[in-house]
Amino acid sequence: MHEAVLGATQFSVQINFLSPLINGIANGAAYGLLGLGLVLLYKSNRIFNFAQGEFATVGAIVTYVFYSGTGVLPKLPFFVAVPIGLLASVGIALLTERLVIRPMFNRAKVILVVGTVGVALLLIGVEGLLPYPKTQSLPTISDVLKVQPFIGRVDGIPILYQDLAKLAMLVVLAVGAFYFFRYTRTGTAILAVSQDATAARVVGISVERISLISWGIAGLLGGVAGVLLAVPPQGTVTPGAFTGTTLTVAFAAAVLGGMTSLPGAFVGGLSLGLIEAFANVDASFVPGLNHVHSGQAELAVFAVLLAVLLFRPRGLLGSET
Amino acid sequence: MAVQTEALMTTTVTNRRPGPSRLAARAVAAAPLVAVLFLLPLKSDTFGHVAAYAAIFVMVGLSMNVLTGYTGQISLGHQAFVGLGALTAANVVSTGVTPADPFTFAIGMLTAAAAAGAAALLLGAVALRIRGLYLALVTLVFGSVFADAIFTLPSLNGHEAGVSAYRPTFISSEYRYYLFALAMVAICYYIDVRVRKSKVGRGLVALRDNELVAAAFGVDVLRYKLLGFTISGAMAGLAGGVFAFWSQEFSDKDFTAIAGFNLALTFVVVVVVGGLANRGGVMGAGAFFALVSPISPLLQWVADKTHWGTYYGNNKFYIANVIGAVLLLQTVILNPGGLGQVIRPFARWFAGHPFTLHDPDGDAGVGAMEGSSVRA
Repeated sequence: MHEAVLGATQFSVQINFLSPLINGIANGAAYGLLGLGLVLLYKSNRIFNFAQGEFATVGAIVTYVFYSGTGVLPKLPFFVAVPIGLLASVGIALLTERLVIRPMFNRAKVILVVGTVGVALLLIGVEGLLPYPKTQSLPTISDVLKVQPFIGRVDGIPILYQDLAKLAMLVVLAVGAFYFFRYTRTGTAILAVSQDATAARVVGISVERISLISWGIAGLLGGVAGVLLAVPPQGTVTPGAFTGTTLTVAFAAAVLGGMTSLPGAFVGGLSLGLIEAFANVDASFVPGLNHVHSGQAELAVFAVLLAVLLFRPRGLLGSET
Repeated sequence: MAVQTEALMTTTVTNRRPGPSRLAARAVAAAPLVAVLFLLPLKSDTFGHVAAYAAIFVMVGLSMNVLTGYTGQISLGHQAFVGLGALTAANVVSTGVTPADPFTFAIGMLTAAAAAGAAALLLGAVALRIRGLYLALVTLVFGSVFADAIFTLPSLNGHEAGVSAYRPTFISSEYRYYLFALAMVAICYYIDVRVRKSKVGRGLVALRDNELVAAAFGVDVLRYKLLGFTISGAMAGLAGGVFAFWSQEFSDKDFTAIAGFNLALTFVVVVVVGGLANRGGVMGAGAFFALVSPISPLLQWVADKTHWGTYYGNNKFYIANVIGAVLLLQTVILNPGGLGQVIRPFARWFAGHPFTLHDPDGDAGVGAMEGSSVRA
């Protein structure tokens, strides 16, 4: 009946621009938050860290078990539980550096990457064996502050406080990390080590300490992402929650923005979130497809990734590949 | 030092053909292996079922070995090729509710290998232009996108219900299907040996170790890399075809989302733990990870003997993750040669060499990935 009414306009797809725009920015903030940690480690160590998604999950899980008082743990207020969660993320990242990265310092980068894949697998497994309710979520900012979840509606679509918080945190962290690398001694030292470790050692920089610091920061960024993303409606504290799909898109986002550019993680994240949202158009005019085929958004992500790598490998804002 | 090495090489060469007593010793040593390989799966349908699953993993391991071991390219998206093979075989044979007839079945297997080989050729053509670590990223995204975009097409996955794939009657029992899977393993093994021993294999390994030098010596970089990708993809596709008829159904859910991601990582674990460029090690690791996977009842059986049965049953997916991850980490950090390095003295002894722990031409392991083509 629907088709009969539409008649001649059957193939003209009606697109509501506002809803994908808002969804896209909200998802894009998530990709950007995860992407920040990826960019930081690429900038400092020249590796892809496949464990970044699990750094986020660890932060979210530890925050959750203290917030809800799981088992013998004390039930703590949200703003006390969060720092504990972040500490756990940093701790896991430091352990990763000390036990996996440090022994393989002089090996090829691709083997280090395989090592981070191993860390991700291990963390998923260990998280799964821990006794806590795995399908739960963290509270949103508005739950914690006991206010209504949205600040207002635009054209009937609610603008959530949580999404604003993600976006604000992303901007703060991206700008903060940008200044850290540009203006602080430690930040400059990290860059020096990434460019030439031997030369950095010669001028008195401790390469080991710098590596530890950069992994610690990556863990912190991962933890922040986890706490902000493991909230309803989609986010949970399930093991591997951020590794399956979010991390893949976050990588593509970081590549789009430029793997060496921290503001690029912000730009790339938002762009990819929007691309994904707008790629989810009604596809029922293609024979054999559902209303919205689940692979459309992912195909768009893949196409963007390939296009960037083939035609502009340094990304939108990156300075080198 | 030089004299010692020379003496050792001479003994190696002269002992290539062992005498009758040495042959007998090897036969006695091989007997338990053959028994495990052929008699254990006969014990029950479950044993045969799991053994065939292990054979499929061994095939995927060999496929990864060609790609990662010989061309030095890590693939985080190999589940896409296996899945494409399964999808193609199931749809081409299209059994409905009756067993497949042998001829269509053979065509199905061939098209499975051809389709996955073509997909790998396509990925390879793009991958050739992308340098360093980024290639790992592209294979990761390719794997998940390919699975989620194509396997979920309603017309290909039996409208969400799965495509049935009933075995031809002559291999319908679990044990017979296992023997069929073993035959397919033998084909993959033969291809792997031929690739490594031929001009192509030497070219690929030269490329892996140093692309510029290899090119200077006249190795056609483009053709050889594409060939490596295609062979690996076709082997994975064949494994996928065997998998479809092993589970008697193609279901996209085996290869998409988190299941697909887990599968892709398991394949990486197999090839790294097995020891890159080491066929025997990779095959052993493939069988091992199939046997400890959640599908296999082996660990459940062990757990039932203690009081851990329920715990294992509830957590088997996570336990499989931990086993894989711990072995992967210990391999890359402490034992880059992998399982292959460990079993190498025994493998060499079986091949007719005198038993020695000294390894005159021990090769590669994780070192296979340290070649220039993948160095970031």
